[in-house]
Amino acid sequence: MSTQPLPTPVAGPPPGGGLRKRAWSGFERFQGLLFVMPALVVLAIFLIYPAYYTIRLAFYESDFHFGFFHYLGVDNFKELLTNDPDFLDLSKFPPGGALINNLRWVIFYISLSLIIGLGLAVLAVRVRYERAVKTAIFVPMAIAATAVGIIWLLVYNTDSNIGVMNAVWHGVLGQHQVSWLGNPAIVNYALIFAYVWASVGFVMVVLSAAIKGIPMEIMEAARVDGAGEWNIFRRIMLPMLSLPISVVTIWLFINVIKVFDIIYVMTGGGPGTTSRVIAFTMYEETFHNGRPGYGAAVAVIMLVLIAPVMVLNVRRFRTEKVVA
Amino acid sequence: MATVESAVPIRARTRSERLVRLVSRGPLHIALIGIAVLWLVPTVGLALTSFRKPPAIASSGWWHSFTQWDWTLHNYDSVITATGMGHAWVNSVIITVPATILPLTLGALAAFGFAWVPFPFRDTLFLIIVALMIVPIQTSLVPLLKLFANHGHLNNHYYGIWLAHTAFGLPLAVFLLRNFFVTLPKDLIEAARIDGASNLAIFRRVVVPLSVPALASFAIFQFLWVWNDLLMALIFVSDPSKQPMTVRIPYLLSTYGQEYNLLAAAAFLLMILPLLVFFSLQRYFVQGLLAGSVKT
Amino acid sequence: MRRKSLIASAVALAVIAAGLTATAISAKPTKKSANSIEVLSLWGGSEKDAFLKVTAAFTKATGIKVEYTSARDFIPDIQTRLAAGNPPDIGILPRPGYIATLAKQGSLKSLSSLGLTNKYMAGNYSAGWLKLGSSSGKLYGVPAKANSKSVIWYKPDSFKKYKFKVPKTWAQLLAITKAYKAKGLVPWSVGAGPNQSQWTLTDWFENIYARTAGPAKYQRLFTGKLKFTDPSVANAARIMTQIINNKYVLNGVQGVLGQSFVGSITDVFGTNSKAQLFFEGGFVGGIATQQVNPALKPGKTIADFPWPTIKASLDHPVVGAADFAAAFKDTPEVRQFLKYISTGPAGVIWVSTNAVTSPNKKVPARAYPSVLARAEAHQLATAKTFLFDGSDLLPGAFGDTWGFALQDVIQKPGNIKSILSTFQSKIQGKF
Repeated sequence: MSTQPLPTPVAGPPPGGGLRKRAWSGFERFQGLLFVMPALVVLAIFLIYPAYYTIRLAFYESDFHFGFFHYLGVDNFKELLTNDPDFLDLSKFPPGGALINNLRWVIFYISLSLIIGLGLAVLAVRVRYERAVKTAIFVPMAIAATAVGIIWLLVYNTDSNIGVMNAVWHGVLGQHQVSWLGNPAIVNYALIFAYVWASVGFVMVVLSAAIKGIPMEIMEAARVDGAGEWNIFRRIMLPMLSLPISVVTIWLFINVIKVFDIIYVMTGGGPGTTSRVIAFTMYEETFHNGRPGYGAAVAVIMLVLIAPVMVLNVRRFRTEKVVA
Repeated sequence: MATVESAVPIRARTRSERLVRLVSRGPLHIALIGIAVLWLVPTVGLALTSFRKPPAIASSGWWHSFTQWDWTLHNYDSVITATGMGHAWVNSVIITVPATILPLTLGALAAFGFAWVPFPFRDTLFLIIVALMIVPIQTSLVPLLKLFANHGHLNNHYYGIWLAHTAFGLPLAVFLLRNFFVTLPKDLIEAARIDGASNLAIFRRVVVPLSVPALASFAIFQFLWVWNDLLMALIFVSDPSKQPMTVRIPYLLSTYGQEYNLLAAAAFLLMILPLLVFFSLQRYFVQGLLAGSVKT
Repeated sequence: MRRKSLIASAVALAVIAAGLTATAISAKPTKKSANSIEVLSLWGGSEKDAFLKVTAAFTKATGIKVEYTSARDFIPDIQTRLAAGNPPDIGILPRPGYIATLAKQGSLKSLSSLGLTNKYMAGNYSAGWLKLGSSSGKLYGVPAKANSKSVIWYKPDSFKKYKFKVPKTWAQLLAITKAYKAKGLVPWSVGAGPNQSQWTLTDWFENIYARTAGPAKYQRLFTGKLKFTDPSVANAARIMTQIINNKYVLNGVQGVLGQSFVGSITDVFGTNSKAQLFFEGGFVGGIATQQVNPALKPGKTIADFPWPTIKASLDHPVVGAADFAAAFKDTPEVRQFLKYISTGPAGVIWVSTNAVTSPNKKVPARAYPSVLARAEAHQLATAKTFLFDGSDLLPGAFGDTWGFALQDVIQKPGNIKSILSTFQSKIQGKF
């Protein structure tokens, strides 16, 4: 499936170009602001102001009125990072807590999605039915995370007459029925895999488009020289794909920090609190346990974790690098 | 740009050459087709389950339903009428359409300003908006809930969630559309300016018609994003009669948690529209997604 | 390409239009008219149907429509709606502890301010029930329905087949458990996992605790006067793991954590039965016979017996639970509804559904239609010692947190002490 080239982020044309007959009048100079103002107003009220409010709230103890009840300094953060085993538990090995779960997601979700997506992209480009394969893999991207959750609840059902996973594991492979979502040791990986299933399509499509951008002559030359497919992949394709791979990795990383829906639908953070992630903790603490200040501290931590991406985006845009 | 086939080896010609190729590439085909089929299994399973009766679901896996032709539409009927999913579907539409049109409009206007109408601090403001693209919605839940409640009970209507979605969709809209607008031919715009057209006229008559692909890409991306959203609706639409499908389906889990026939039908109702959009407007969707790869 | 996408968009629009029309025809009307109230509770399936019978009678008598909404996780639901300024008119909640929290927030209207005087309430309910629905001396909750939580469900035909006698002591129950296992059958199914099912574990714990530590300690524990680190708590938790372990429950502890409450009822009493014994309250009967498997025959294929004693001296304390109707708003419709719910006739209709027992003094024993229900009502009424569900007495959301702690206990019985001390540090000072 061919895609048009992405709009390249280049700087705008010089004002007026070379054909302008007269200088910009005062009104015209600010007319641009008029175009931009509605968007800026909406952003200021409904995005920037709330972010500021939440950051401030993180330093307070709050209650069901969501007001600034009682100044706490950094106590919320201290408690989160040192005194809340549901969030961060370094006292045992392997460590536990929602933050550690996100770390698990970072490692396994990103690497699995990349490996499978890249592998599929590389293989599928060699067959004529590539488009069909891409479509099949990509379909889950259109599905809401809620529905993905329902789909995989059915797949992971403990009863091997209902759940495909156990039908294979128990019915075909003869093992004991596994409670995929009830076993604290594997529930996180079960969830991760469900989300990988939904995300691989994106990786595959992006990398497939990028692979098609690799000039054939280079690869043919390498083949003529006797290089094996694996070496071609490692030494030629991979380096040329490093930019798209990094773009995809950043997208996957952002997904990890924000993942919520699938946990809410499939396990509610359970069993107990073993499958919690930080976005879910924020929700629980704010709306269930009635501690909005504490929840706001979690939101701030999310912002902090995502800030490097923000910086990267701005920097990349500034230096006008081509996206893909 | 290289052609579509650039990374594919030259095709075999004679019949025996083709046969040899087929056999030697057997594992490749098996792997690819196998994985593609595997990937479809979960969705197909849900689809089949939505057409089965409860006793059948409990006693045999959906993979048996190919041989046991006992299908029914009753689940969809129950789900639409008895559990209020039909109503929730309408709510989803009510929430999604304005939440797509608003950021599209405001974003296009702003993008045009950033692309073709110079003004002080233009580049700085644009960079700020680029930075805002990844702010997580968690930072908005509490303050907006309070804001909406205190000012006109916007939570009791859809205005609250429309505005929230607009705000979070704007950075991507502005980024994507602005990047597209600057690729438009400079001469066209200059010519229009020389003819005395106002900026607004240029926007309406020159830029917008030429930008349909980019506008469509963002619109589709935003449409699916809002349609599939759970958390914002969970917090900002607390009136049960206004909640969209993504919020009502988890409710089914608690009261009918074992009844996969209903869950499957409800999930499919949720999925139908996005899947339709995806299959019919695939090109635009993928483009929107690719450009949105920087959005959270 | 242009034409193709135009066609595609047209198709999409047509689908949307069709969908809208279809749902407009079939969807429920939801415009809140002036003459209706919204009631929020947690029931689904047969429990919801039972409640709807009561509201139908109310609508018939007063013309006020009742819109029933359920919540998945009622605490965030209520809190979000309160913050949005849009709470339901009435909430029927199972947790006096949470009702007290709401009352302290100022979110509830006291019953006396709604026209239900203390004298009137005392005429319909015993002091014990009224105390539970109160906070700081004011009454906020009308006890709506009650259930015993000290019954164990079994299959009489199975007992007959294997010549088991209904156990009266814990030791006898364990023996039956082991005997089932020896015959190759899975003894128990427990559902304490997804969809907020962890409360089932708290009920196991409460029955055991009441029978090992006694009612006085029980009361003190769940009202914050006794710490969870007290040895009696760990002792009861350990006894719980004598049955809830990998040997005696369906799919082991992981299965317990992966199975929901209704799912575990289905495991035992569904058409494809996989286990033999089940513990949860009196409401199980209604769910099992009306929702899970209508082919069940009470007395033959499903029946219950009272929780066995553990310490002979502590005999049979009955742990029970109830739902309380509390008002978030003060409107004429709300007042009428609360008044109606507190009357005898409403109670009679509710118990006639065979799903609940009524704490209302004005509901006579003959109103109960079945053997099972009458027995449960009898157990509640004649209990020498009646204890309210402890986890529901805990403040705020700690009922859930306690459930999570017990989930940890069954996974790691060796860590009981540290799990309990973690929980104690969380709840310290929160009463």
